[in-house]
Amino acid sequence: MLKIKNLTKKYGKFTAVDDLALNVPDGEIFGFVGPNGAGKTTTMKIICGLMAANSGEVYVDDIDAIKKAREAKEIIGYMPDFFGVYDDLKVNEYLDFYASIYNIKPKERKRITDDLLELVDLTDKREVYVDSLSRGMKQRLCLARSLVHNPRLLVLDEPASGMDPRARVEMKEILRSLKGLGKTIIISSHILSELSELCTSIGIIDRGKLVIEGKVSDIMQQVYSKKLIKVRVKDRIEDALRVMQEFPTVISTNTGENYIEVGFDGGDEDMTLLLRELINKDIPVITFSQMDGNLEDVFMKVTNGDEEH
Amino acid sequence: MNINPVLQKELKIRMRGWRAAATIGVYLGFLTLTAYFITVVARQDFYRTAIDPEFSIGSYIGLAVMQFVLISFIAPALTTGAISGEREKQTLDLLLCTRMTPLSIIIGKLFASMSQIILLIIASLPVFSIVFLFGGISIKEVLQLFGFFIIISITFGSIGIFFSSYFKKTTAANVLSYGTIAFLYFGTIFITVIILMAIGDSNYNGIFPLLYANPILGFSSILWEQFGSGSMGFFPGFNFTQTGLNKFVSPWIVNLIFNIALSMLLLFLSSRKINPLLEKHNGRKRKRHNAK
Repeated sequence: MLKIKNLTKKYGKFTAVDDLALNVPDGEIFGFVGPNGAGKTTTMKIICGLMAANSGEVYVDDIDAIKKAREAKEIIGYMPDFFGVYDDLKVNEYLDFYASIYNIKPKERKRITDDLLELVDLTDKREVYVDSLSRGMKQRLCLARSLVHNPRLLVLDEPASGMDPRARVEMKEILRSLKGLGKTIIISSHILSELSELCTSIGIIDRGKLVIEGKVSDIMQQVYSKKLIKVRVKDRIEDALRVMQEFPTVISTNTGENYIEVGFDGGDEDMTLLLRELINKDIPVITFSQMDGNLEDVFMKVTNGDEEH
Repeated sequence: MNINPVLQKELKIRMRGWRAAATIGVYLGFLTLTAYFITVVARQDFYRTAIDPEFSIGSYIGLAVMQFVLISFIAPALTTGAISGEREKQTLDLLLCTRMTPLSIIIGKLFASMSQIILLIIASLPVFSIVFLFGGISIKEVLQLFGFFIIISITFGSIGIFFSSYFKKTTAANVLSYGTIAFLYFGTIFITVIILMAIGDSNYNGIFPLLYANPILGFSSILWEQFGSGSMGFFPGFNFTQTGLNKFVSPWIVNLIFNIALSMLLLFLSSRKINPLLEKHNGRKRKRHNAK
């Protein structure tokens, strides 16, 4: 659905996007992660024809989005991180206006408006003036606006920013529904835990460069090549610690009240052997589990690692 | 037929609330006061007993001058916030990311403002009709004058849109728009006088070329053609005579052609300015990149 090749954007001497390459297949929900100023918004604006790139190519469904921006805009729905609304328009008129831009007939526009208001749960606000809506409602309305022409690719720049926790959950639900409708979605956010639940794949961008990209699980494995195992024991923690320290693939241990965190440089076979060794030595093991790294750790690790160079 | 969506939306927004009604009220109020003032002055002439066409011509000119002044103030005010306002409200990107071209956004904005001006002009017809009571003025003359007002409104509106596209703040766009219009009104006269003084030509016959850009010239030329006769001179370089270019074409027509050309140029430049894919710096770079 989306292919980006060698994309570069400079503001004077500052390089906002540096030779970026990206490939988002059909139906994916791609999480675009990065610290502030990493180049997420710039990349998204270039995709949507709102900014010129210095060099590079962007293809949306095989349409050259740089040379044929107008054609590409027909299949892209964009929601910016900051946006305003028209003071004197009602909610249904607001959506009707944007639908009219796409030459949709009035009857069809009414049906689309009704459907979208239902999707974003604003049906009861249809006759209300847009500027009287709460921030969360405006965000949902803006999402509905980006859908009026039934785009195949949705580009959402921090769609949940500034929302309270309830509104965030509602937004997440809407995005899940859109995923069900088969839309390809690119979503940027700094709330990584939300992205990890929602996205099928992520890309981490730092200082204009894509540092890592792929399925969430693959990235976890790539970053955490060494496993972390947590072993809880009923008692005899000293004996358990001795067994572990003597085990060849254990590289570090960290003892808590009734558990030990083990840095482990081995495969699944080795993990089985370690557990068997503990049982053979009559250590009362309660749990033996591999700890999952979370996306926040991955993000910090990847972006900090880069900084050290 | 598809109506420009921006025009449609703007008309809906602009006609909502009290502002549109207040604008029409104030506009007609000024014109009515002018008509009343002229009538009172005319009635003080005790020797005038019969219906006098000269009175209607006087009223017509008085109302036309007032309308000309009002349009000069209102037309730019309606457009100076057209693009900068969208920027300030953070709604411009939402328009630019749709399939609408920058030019159609600009045209939609301009025509929304022009519709308001046309509404004001049409609403003023009943006040103007007072002159028909006394004769001496034909419908053709009124329509000719109103046509001139519409074109001049488009020019002033285009000046407003141009500065609105180039400046982020509506205040800056406002100041520069009125500055430019003031230049067309008075700056061109001032420069003409300076040039003629410098070259020592105090008897310049006809119209100095720079003054064809002056809306006052266009306006007064229409009135001169409708009611004047022979030659009329205001000052060197501003004389209505049947010499030079004016033997073939009326000064107000030359002024209108200038206005139309200026409007087209300003609208074209405005649409280029708001086109995000035509950033000057990046455009050059991309050309170089593509050439590789």
